This record gives sequence, structure tokens and C-alpha cells, in this order.
Amino acid sequence: MAVCVAVIAKENYPLYIRSVPTENELKFHYMVHTSLDVVDEKISAMGKALVDQRELYLGLLYPTEDYKVYGYVTNSKVKFVMVVDSSNTALRDNEIRSMFRKLHNSYTDVMCNPFYNPGDRIQSRAFDSMVTSMMIQVC
Amino acid sequence: MSVPDYMQCAEDHQTLLVVVQPVGVVSEENFFRIYKRICSVSQISVRDSQRVLYIRYRHHYPPENNEWGDFQTHRKVVGLVTITDCCSAKDWPQTFEKFHMQKEIYGSTLYDSRLFVFGLQGEIAEQPRTDVAFYPSYEDCPGVEKRVEDFIESLFIVLESKRLDRATDKSGDKVPLLCVPFEKKDFVGLDTDSRHYKKRCQGRMRKHVGDLCLQAGMLQDSLVHYHMAVELLRAVNDFLWLGAALEGLCSASVIYHYPGGTGGKNGARRCPGGSLPAEAANRHRPGAQEVLIDPGALTTNGINPDTSAEIGRAKNCLSPEDIIDKYKEAISYYGKYKNAGVIELEACVKAVRVLAIQKRSMEASEFLQNAVYINLRQLSEEEKIQRYSVLSELYELIGFRRKSAFFKRVAAMQCVAPSIAEPGWRACYKLLLETLPGYSLSLDPQDFSKGTHRGWAAVQMRLLHELVYASRRMGNPALSVRHLSFLLQTMLDFLSDQEKKDVTQSLESYTSKCPGTMELITLPDGLSLPPVPLTKLPIVRHVKLLNLPASLRPQKMKSLLGQNVSAKSPFIYSPIIAHSRGEERSKKIDFQWVQGDVCEVQLMVYNPMPFELRVENMGLLTSGVEFESLPAALSLPAESGLYPVTLVGVPQTTGTISVNGYHTTVFGVFSDCLLDNLPGIKNNGSTVEVIPALPRLQISTSLPRSAHSLQPASGDEISTHVSVQLYNGETQQLVIKLENIGVEPLEKLEVTSKVLTSKEKLYGDFLSWKLEEALAQFPLQPGQVATLTVNIQVKLDFSCQENLLQDLSDDGISVSGFPLCSPFRQVVRPRVESKGANPPEGSKPGDPSHTKALEAILNFKYSGGPGHVEGYYRELSLGLRVEVEPSVFFTRVSTLPATSTRQCHLLLDVFNSTEHELSLSARGNEELILHAGECQRMAIQVDKFNFESFPESPGEKGQFATPKQLEEQRQEARGLEINSKLGIRWRIISFHGRGSRCPCSGFLTMEGTHEGSSAHKPHSNAPCNSPGSSVHCLALPVHWSLTPGR
Repeated sequence: MAVCVAVIAKENYPLYIRSVPTENELKFHYMVHTSLDVVDEKISAMGKALVDQRELYLGLLYPTEDYKVYGYVTNSKVKFVMVVDSSNTALRDNEIRSMFRKLHNSYTDVMCNPFYNPGDRIQSRAFDSMVTSMMIQVC
Repeated sequence: MSVPDYMQCAEDHQTLLVVVQPVGVVSEENFFRIYKRICSVSQISVRDSQRVLYIRYRHHYPPENNEWGDFQTHRKVVGLVTITDCCSAKDWPQTFEKFHMQKEIYGSTLYDSRLFVFGLQGEIAEQPRTDVAFYPSYEDCPGVEKRVEDFIESLFIVLESKRLDRATDKSGDKVPLLCVPFEKKDFVGLDTDSRHYKKRCQGRMRKHVGDLCLQAGMLQDSLVHYHMAVELLRAVNDFLWLGAALEGLCSASVIYHYPGGTGGKNGARRCPGGSLPAEAANRHRPGAQEVLIDPGALTTNGINPDTSAEIGRAKNCLSPEDIIDKYKEAISYYGKYKNAGVIELEACVKAVRVLAIQKRSMEASEFLQNAVYINLRQLSEEEKIQRYSVLSELYELIGFRRKSAFFKRVAAMQCVAPSIAEPGWRACYKLLLETLPGYSLSLDPQDFSKGTHRGWAAVQMRLLHELVYASRRMGNPALSVRHLSFLLQTMLDFLSDQEKKDVTQSLESYTSKCPGTMELITLPDGLSLPPVPLTKLPIVRHVKLLNLPASLRPQKMKSLLGQNVSAKSPFIYSPIIAHSRGEERSKKIDFQWVQGDVCEVQLMVYNPMPFELRVENMGLLTSGVEFESLPAALSLPAESGLYPVTLVGVPQTTGTISVNGYHTTVFGVFSDCLLDNLPGIKNNGSTVEVIPALPRLQISTSLPRSAHSLQPASGDEISTHVSVQLYNGETQQLVIKLENIGVEPLEKLEVTSKVLTSKEKLYGDFLSWKLEEALAQFPLQPGQVATLTVNIQVKLDFSCQENLLQDLSDDGISVSGFPLCSPFRQVVRPRVESKGANPPEGSKPGDPSHTKALEAILNFKYSGGPGHVEGYYRELSLGLRVEVEPSVFFTRVSTLPATSTRQCHLLLDVFNSTEHELSLSARGNEELILHAGECQRMAIQVDKFNFESFPESPGEKGQFATPKQLEEQRQEARGLEINSKLGIRWRIISFHGRGSRCPCSGFLTMEGTHEGSSAHKPHSNAPCNSPGSSVHCLALPVHWSLTPGR
């Protein structure tokens, strides 16, 4: 269902990015990169909202002709961006939310690995397979 | 209407559009000079009223856009200024004709026009005309601005009359229907008498009046008119015009709220007197009242007859939030009409500008997103570029730098689209450069030196590739080399093996035309590209300055004690000084380099590339001292491990040199890599003192070199080793050639020797020389040779090994243990026991196991030239190994009384342990031939003497010595005395002719000790008769201790 999943560090560089049509990877790089503008804007708009009550899910960042870009930001300002095919109308907001939650949990597991250096690229196989499962699920 | 004006902003609704155009042949330069002057008249306070008129000048305006002038009056060209060249009067009618033709283009909408004629003088110019102004030249036209002001005032008069004309239209009158070009055919055959139609006409007219009021500087009035128009048009569902009315409302409100303007650059002129919006509103009151009394108009707002008209007016104005809502509404209405795409697009742009001021980026991005999808007719490439650039600028405006960069890049790519006949690589390159900040990419490699690179590598790499390509197509290979080396340097970790190969190949092909330099490249637009040193090709891990080889290492002559300490502080110890010194030391290395001598720095490098890396011209970068770097070339295998590379150079002057880095040429790119900028480099100091030049000494000897190297105790390193084989007691001359191979004269030489600690007891002078002979040739100029002769003399005690000595008691001489000999015995005995496995008889003479080795070091300390003045010297060591073979032994010693009482016979049993026949002589006369392995007795007649008469050894030595040592000294001294008396010598006959061994060089020394006062006292002494010990034999007058002498 997702065509591209990206994890972006607090300093806005990618920790993990993977897309399904691998031949046009760069397009998704551009898409995710530009979506960060919206993420930044949304985060700054949230401003000083109570940290624990803040909604982590950012919702639709922006639609393009073929895709929809959704965002999610953790409390430590790590961003998850998911690109979804816009033809896939069956996908509801709630499902996107739950996918992000799954992603977040898996990311937390990665961070719990004592051998992972925060800030490095994520190379965890478990995380990778989880992302794969999210990508295949429907399409 | 097809050409959008992306630069539009809300304030443009209040401007009058004036087109300034050249007619005939006017040079661009001259035209724009005048155009600029005309443009400076952009706002005018109209005579008596306080209203301000704003003018928008265009030098190009598509006539089809002019057709939309009724829809939004600011799109209507109301004034035309024509600029022309006219040199002679006869061209004048023609020129004037052209002016009229030009007027025709915008004829339907023009309020007024002017012609500025330059160059014409004479009677035509004298004629006063309102629509033509004559100026002698482009330089001499002081009245242009005034003329334009007059022109604008005339425009105002027309505008005002039109406004009043329309505003006072009574509702009962027939109102003409205003329409946009594409609507015209829709209204054919429509019932013009219907209420619906009338309302539509009224609404549109109201909106038009609103536009005129806005242009005429009557903001409040326009607001009222727009409100009315909105009501009217909403009722008849005339969406296009409803949208226009709403947009007008928004524009007027924006002008009210943001007097600073939303357009950005032209904002300054908007608020001339610094007047507040409220004041501005007050100013417009006179005009407003005119409208407010209009009975048919007021349906909703501001109608209250007397009470505060002010409040009503304030209400007319939209709040900032409402502005956006209305914009949204307007755009949604525009969106219903395909032909109004440009209007919709421009409305979006205007709304975005307003939102940018309101800092509501999210909503602005929505407007922009919408604008992206507005499909205009097929755009030309140029328009596409413009569109993307404007989108980029707008995104930039709302702080979406990444999005902005994205569109700018798209615009750049559009510049060189394959469909374009003449690709604009220059423009493409310029636009690409502007995208760099959006991709958080700086072109300074220093920014990447801190740890691993973090960023959008894939995207950044793409951009760099595009920069490389664009700069190459631009015909600037230096730029592409710079970008490509930057790509290689910063993105190395992200390149795949194949990409690495491709990048380096293209880099090599570029550099073949234009080698990469270390110079700053400054682009015409002011951006400068700092040089990119390829510090990762190869990666340097470790830098170590090497000391000079031991033989060339300079040494400081011992200065007065504590000299350097006293210079710094009166205290012997201070923790503060120690601390600061420690810091100094951290960078400074405690050895010196010498001027004019080759110095070395070792680097540990490795090649991260998947192929062989050729590094050329690798040398050192230094400062502080003039340094001649001798570059090296190396070739590193693919993905090599750490690889040591030694860079060399010669310091030409003295002082403190610091090694700052190294330079390389890789793939044709010159790089200066500074150590400070290298991450993860291990560097233990890079500063070394260079001392003045010293001479260099080379020594060669007459003896063969030895493979056997000495292991000196501490510190000393030996440059040359020689070895020689000698028989015990033999003397050999070692001729040492001293050659000055440096460039400085050799002035001083000191020679010292050091015998390495050996268990052997050595008698006599092992090495002796006469330095004076060599020094006589000093100072030694470069290339000159001096010789020094060193005598090697070996006298060792072999007796303990050879169990050949027998005691002499059978000769009737009583022999008893002699206490003085006990030290000898004690030392010797355990050795014998340890050698017990060696059967004494089995050991043949000359057996190698019998040889003993002596090792010594000759130290040459030399100095000269400027280094000598500074107090430095050099040390050269020569290792000497002497293998000593046993020669002659005394197996028995005894004495017999001689005929004279003053003399006695000394009987010696002599054994030849060599393989050669040798002759033996004592006191120079009695010669005895001994065959190999033969033992014979010889008798020597000697004078008796008493050791009591023998002088004591110098007292001062004795003071420090133990009694035992004292006794040994005395024993030695006596031994020497006896030796000199006996003078026993041997020589190997067969060597006689060869001369390699001096025939008389063999010394056999006898050592004697004496006990008791009487020389004649028998039985008083005894040799130690224990086997294997050195024999102390008792002679009548003396007590002999027979050992090969010291």
C-alpha cells in the first residue's frame, strides 16, 4: 500500500528511505525531501502545544497527481514520511495512522539496539522486513 | 488572455497601466535609460485632493491582455508613452505616423498618449504640442519627469470623469453589459430586458466602478462598490464576475491592511508619508461620500444616514482572515471557467503574497499547490521556465526552501529541455546554483570535513552531477572539474563502485583539458567556489615526522649546566612552567632537522577506491622555513590497507618548520591537503627545528665490512661495522678514511672509543691512535679525504682455557697458594667448572671455539660550518669486532740462579697453539723456532730486581679503590715492568712476506708479582697450581705471574 517509506532524523537528513518501484527512486527522494517543508511548517505551527498531548500524526502533507504524502513526527522530532498511491482510495486515515504506529514501534526497537548508533542509517533487518510488509500488504 | 503576469500583487489593482514603447530605431540602452526615468514617476498626489495615483509601467504588454481591461481595469492600458529617435525634420511626418499606428494597438482603452522625440531640433520642435515632447538628446532631457507627471494628471482627469460618469449612473438607466472576450458570443440573443440581465449588468458595472475608485485612490468607496457588486452578482450567479468583485474586495482590503505592500521590492514607495491606514482612510472621505449618497447602491453596508459613517466603512474592509477566505472563494469561481486560467493563476499568486505577509505558510502552500495544477494552454518553454521560477520564488517567500529548490531545479532543467533549439546552459547553471541552499549543500568542502556526511545524498549527488554537466556544456571546464572533484570528495561514501569509476574517468577526461587547481573560482555573480582538495584520495591516517638517521643526527654540545633553565625562571622547578612546556611539546618534536639535509615524513595512506589509484607529485607543504619538497609518485592497489609513504624534502634555511600538509595530483586535480582539516588523522607533532648546516662525514676502512652487527648498550646506532681476525698479542693497523661528503667544511673531529663490556680481561691499550695526524689536514673541505690510523692491539688471557700450564714444583721450586692471586682464581675457577664438558686435551689449537671476540665502538664526533657555530655536532660510529685466536702460551715458568748473583735464568716452557710455525725472541736476540703445536723451553737471563724499588701507582687513584683493586693495579704495573724487561716477541714466519700481520707485532707479556722484601728468598711464593688458572710462577728473584699481558 505504501510506495515509499522514509525515516528522517531530527536534523532533517534521511535515516532510512525505501520505495517500491526502485527504478525511479530519485523521484521519491525528491518527494520526501520537499515534504519536509510541510512537516517543518506543521511542527512549528504546533509550537508549544503540550508535549504529551501532542498529536504525532501530521496527516496528509500534500497530494500530488499520483501520490499522497503523509507525515508523522515523534516526540524526539524524528519524522516518518509515507507516500501512498492516491488511486488507493480504500486507504483511510485510520489505517495510515496505524501504519505509522507500527513504524514507530519498529523504529523504537531499532533505537533499543545497543549496537545502533543514533544518527546512523538504519540497517536493521527487522525494520526492513516490517517496511516490506507495509509495502506489500495491499498492492 | 493567455499571458499570466506572475509578478502581480494585490496592490496592482490600484494602479494605472501605462505602456512605454520605442518606435522606430531606438537603441535598447537609450530606451531603458528613458524608461527608467519614466518609471521613477510611479506615484503622484493629485493636485487639490489628497488622493494618490499609482502608475504601473510596462514596456511590453500583450494586446490580448488589454481586452480583459473591462473585467479588471488595472489590466487596461490607459496611457501610452512612445519614445522615438528622429534626426531630421523630413523624417518627422513618418515618425508621427508610426506613433499613431502604435496608438491604434491599444486604441480602444487609451485615455491619453505621449510621444517623446529625441534628436530633433528646429522649427518642428518649436511648435508647442501637448502630446509630443522634443528633446535634443537622450542625455539632455531634464523635463522628462515633469512631462510624465503632467501626462499622468491628464490620465487622472479622464479616469475621474469616467468614474463619476459611471458612479452616478442611475439604476433606472440602461446599463451596458460589460463582458470579457470569451463571453461575448454567449450573450448573443439574450433577453436584455429581463430582471436577471439587468441585475447582471448592474453588478458588473458596480464592480467596474469599484475598480475605477480603487485606481482613483478612493479606497473606501471602492470597498462599498465591491460589496454591492458582490451582493448583486451573487444573486444572479454570475460567478466569473462575482470572483472578480471578491478579488477586488480582497485587493482593496489588502491595500488597507498592508500599506507596505505585498509585492516585496516595490513596497517602499507604497507608503510615502508613513501614513497609517486609518489616516489613509480618512483622506478618502470626500470621494466616499459621493458614493454613499447614491440611493440605489446601498443595500447592505454603510447606509446608516448620519451615524458614524466611519464605522460602516471600517466594516466594509475585510479582516485579514476574511481576505483569504474571499480569495479562496474567488479562485473557486474562477476555476469554473477554463478561459479564466490566467486570472485564477494570478489570483493565486496574489493570495500567496498576502499569506506570506501573514506568515501562514500552510495555507499559502495550498494556494500554490492549486496554482501548480492550473492548466493553461500549451505554454512556450520560456513561459514554463518563468512559471517554475516564480513558483520557486513564491515557495521561498513562504519559507518552503526545499520546495523552492525543487521548482528552481525544474526551471533549470527546462532551460535546457531537448525541445529548445538553443539550450541556455548558462541560465540552467545559474538556477542550479540557486538551488544549493534548498538542498542544504554548500560548495565549501570544509563544511563536510566534520565527520560523516549527513544529508540527502541521492538528491545532492544528482544536483552535483547536473552542475558538472551544465558547467561543461557552458564551456567552462574549470568549473566542471571543481564540481566533479567536490562530488568525488564529499560523496565518496555514497558512490557505488561503478559510479566511482565513472566519476573518476570523466574527471580524468576533463582534467586533461583543464587541470584542477587550488585557486578560488569566482563566478560572475559573486559566488565563489573554494578549492576542493581531494583528501580522501588517498586517505591519510597517520603523519609522522622522522628523525634523521643516527649518523646524521645533530647533537647539541653540552652547554653550561642549567643554562636554559636559568634563562626562563629563577626557580629550578615550577609546576607552571612545566605545564606550559608540556603544551609546547605537544606540537613540537624534540629532534632537529638540519639545513641542507634530506628530511623525511612518513604518511600512512590507503586507497578507498575499487581500482588502482595513481597519486602523482605528492609532496610536503610546510611553513616557517624555505623547504625544497621532493615530490613522489605512488600507485596504490585497490582498496589497499594502510600503506606507508615517505615524503622527503630539504630545508633550505634554518628556523622552525611546521609541516602543514601535503599536496597531491590525483586524476589531474592538484590538491593541497592541510592536516588541520583532515578528520581522524593521527599526528604527533608537526613542528621541528631546523638547525644550520653541518658537514657530513663518510668513513671507509681498510678492513672488510662485517655482517655481524653490534648491539650497543644504549642509544648509539652504528653506521658501519668492520671485523678483523687477530692472534693474541698481535697488533694490526686499521686505516680509516674520513671523507667530507657534505657541503660544509669539516672543522672539528673528536674520536673516542668504547670497548663493549666483555668478560675478558684486556691488557694494554686495545685501540690507540694519533689524532694529530688526521687533524693536521683539517679543516676538511667538501670532497677531501683525511686518514686516521688506529692500532688494534689484542692482549687477552687465554690461559684459563688451555689446561696446558703445569705447576713447576718438580723443578724443585716450592709452589704454594698465593693469597694475592686469589681474586684471579676465584674469577677463573667457576668458568673452568662450567667448561668441564670440554675436555681440555680434545681442544685443538686454533679451534674456533677457542677464539675470543672483542667488540668496540669508535665514535667520531665532528662538526663544522654554521652548525658548529651554533654548537651542534654529529656523531658517527664505527663498530669494530676483533676475533682473537690464541697464539703462544707459557706452560711453565721457573727460575735458575745464574752465574752472576745479580742475574738469574728465567726458564719458560712455550707452546705454540697456532697452525703456523713461528719464531720467538726475547730481548731481541734469542730466537726460537716453534712448529705448530710444539712446546719448547727457553731460558732468558735477566737481572734480578726488587719490586720494592718500584714506584707506587699514583695515589689519587688509590684513594677510591678498594685494597683488592689497589693490589691488582700494582700487579699490573709490575707485570708491565717485567714485560718491558723481557721483551718477548713472536712472529709467524709464513706471514712474513705477506706483511698483513706485522711480524713483530706479537707481544708476549709476563706479569709478575713480588712478595717479601728479599729477592732471594726461596719458597716464599708459589704459583697457583690449580688447573686452568693463570699460572703464577715463582722465579728466584721474583714471583712470576705468567699471563699474556694486559
